[in-house]
Amino acid sequence: MGESNYQVQRNLWDNPWGYIESFFIGLGLITTGFFLEVFVTSSNTFTLSYPYSVVFLAGYVLILFVLFKWFSTTKLIRWLTKVPASISSISLVTMMVMIMGIIPQVTSQNNIINNLGLNHITSNWAFLLILFQFLTCLGLISIKRILQFKWANFGFILNHVGLFLALIAGILGTGDLQRLSINVYENKPSWIATDAQENEIELPFAFYLKDFLIDEYNPKLALVDNKTGSIAHNDGKNLYLIEKGETYFFNNFEVKIDEFLPNAIRFGMRYEVVNEIGSPPAAKITIKNTETDAIQTGWISSGSFRYPYESFKINEDYSVVMTIPEAKKFSSDIDILTKKGERISTILEVNKPFSYKGWEIYQLSYDDKMGKWSNLSVLELVKDPWLPLIYIGIFMMIAGAIYMFWMGNKITKNQP
Amino acid sequence: MTWIDFPLYCAIIVILWIIGLVFLLVSYKKEAVLKVATILFIAGWAVLILFIIKLWIELNRPPMRTLGETRLWYAIFLPLIGFVTFIRWKYKWFLAYSFVMAGMFLAINYMNPETYSKTLMPALQSPWFIPHVLVYLFSYAVLAASSIVAIKGLYDNLKGSFHIETLKLADNLVYIGFAFLTLGLLFGALWAKEAWGHYWTWDPKEVWAFLTWMGYLIYIHYRNFHMNNTKQALTILALAFVVLLVCWFGVNYLPVANTSVHTYTQ
Repeated sequence: MGESNYQVQRNLWDNPWGYIESFFIGLGLITTGFFLEVFVTSSNTFTLSYPYSVVFLAGYVLILFVLFKWFSTTKLIRWLTKVPASISSISLVTMMVMIMGIIPQVTSQNNIINNLGLNHITSNWAFLLILFQFLTCLGLISIKRILQFKWANFGFILNHVGLFLALIAGILGTGDLQRLSINVYENKPSWIATDAQENEIELPFAFYLKDFLIDEYNPKLALVDNKTGSIAHNDGKNLYLIEKGETYFFNNFEVKIDEFLPNAIRFGMRYEVVNEIGSPPAAKITIKNTETDAIQTGWISSGSFRYPYESFKINEDYSVVMTIPEAKKFSSDIDILTKKGERISTILEVNKPFSYKGWEIYQLSYDDKMGKWSNLSVLELVKDPWLPLIYIGIFMMIAGAIYMFWMGNKITKNQP
Repeated sequence: MTWIDFPLYCAIIVILWIIGLVFLLVSYKKEAVLKVATILFIAGWAVLILFIIKLWIELNRPPMRTLGETRLWYAIFLPLIGFVTFIRWKYKWFLAYSFVMAGMFLAINYMNPETYSKTLMPALQSPWFIPHVLVYLFSYAVLAASSIVAIKGLYDNLKGSFHIETLKLADNLVYIGFAFLTLGLLFGALWAKEAWGHYWTWDPKEVWAFLTWMGYLIYIHYRNFHMNNTKQALTILALAFVVLLVCWFGVNYLPVANTSVHTYTQ
């Protein structure tokens, strides 16, 4: 809002500002943001990093405090601490996020989307400006309720301060967040990680992969259309697991699994169990046509990077195939080697990260093509110094939600 | 396979509930038969619980991965909410609604048979999986209940027979539903940090979950400060539920869907 604008419209903007004024200001911020997107072309996104982010946070909270303490009678601050400003900014933030929920956030063919920056909402000026108003409202009313503390406001403070902390720490934290990935090969030390922009970064410690292990589910059974090559059963969803002795029904075919070998290679007419790298699973099946009672027997195999797959053709239209087994669990048995010569052993697994010197180390992926014979394990390293503040915010909100459940419980028919 | 049994279980449950609904209708005239209706409802519900326990054991994993599985949980929670609300608010129409809705979800599952897969990808194998999904589905069920209250309120408003108690029931449900929605969202964030290295990545499902949360946030703020604008409040509540439905089912059909980590149906 320009000062002159404020002067000219003063008579129209009666005290106190209501919803029309609130939405007017909010949409004004968004329009300004879109103008910035169109006319101020900048290739790199705007982020603050340490120490500026900490300075910004301290300054911002201080300014909010000063504004509330000594300027709460001004029109602007009174408006920001009232409901219309809150509801309008919640609604407009919702609107901007909705754009993100509809338009894919990737490079677009459409010029309007590109110019207005609708494919990078999280760093879009329009979004950042309205979010800034939202945070300012939230910050001011949090300060208001803290200064006028009453036990009846306890839940209110938990919810509002918690959200304020989680949001601001999340936003400022993006500037200090480091996410690296590193390829680790069996029996080799690795210390060169790469970031999202493919820059190589040397770590102060090395990883030594002793063993990479995959535990697999059995492969699944599917009926395939010979002409299209696509799965012709159950819309391709939820196929049957291959287990010895099971019988499954596809249309008018009864398929019985006579034998299942997790690692096998074809020898002449049949598959035999072997203990060899790249030996795929195989199964012997008996197929009975329930209409004609005709019986066929044969072998199927999912194949691997080393051996071809084998399907079983039932008739002109359909074949039975075995899918590539899905991973049940994968883990890396690693040593972390420091420059001082220390050796820290741990096992990384999905959902079980390991903390080391401010880094969280995750099991990310492996060589899919090699499957369970992969000797590559991809690890991810994340450093997020703002995490404690975010957790404080999240746990305040969890406490606030429990309080809210309790309050919601008390609303009854006879309540005034 | 347990799934093959589902039509049988489903038929037993739905028949019990339909007879229960008839008795509930009769109880408007003759209060004494309400007990019969209650027994029939509970019997059907017990059969449903039995089915899900069997399914859980059979699959050897929590049956919470696919849309069809989430519908089963929805069908479990709705009657529970219906009963608790009925005990407190004494609305028979609400009790009836919760069973009709639960029956409808079973019917949808009957018409879209799924052969449950036993596989569960490593990322979902976490102690957060069960609390995250159950808290969310419970919240969805409560909020769906609040939306039906909103629709009844708007209908009453149109006919001029609106009573403020209806909105209080809606508030009661929204507060409880929103508390669980918040918990579900935050549990999701805590889990994501463990599994994917970051608590929030603006995944399409996360975006819509956030929007749902914001929708009910608008309702709560509006209700708190404009006690008397009942019609607007009811409209906000109905719209918030539309966003919730997009989050639950709709995301899969939006252009953003293929970038989501929340599509587990293969």
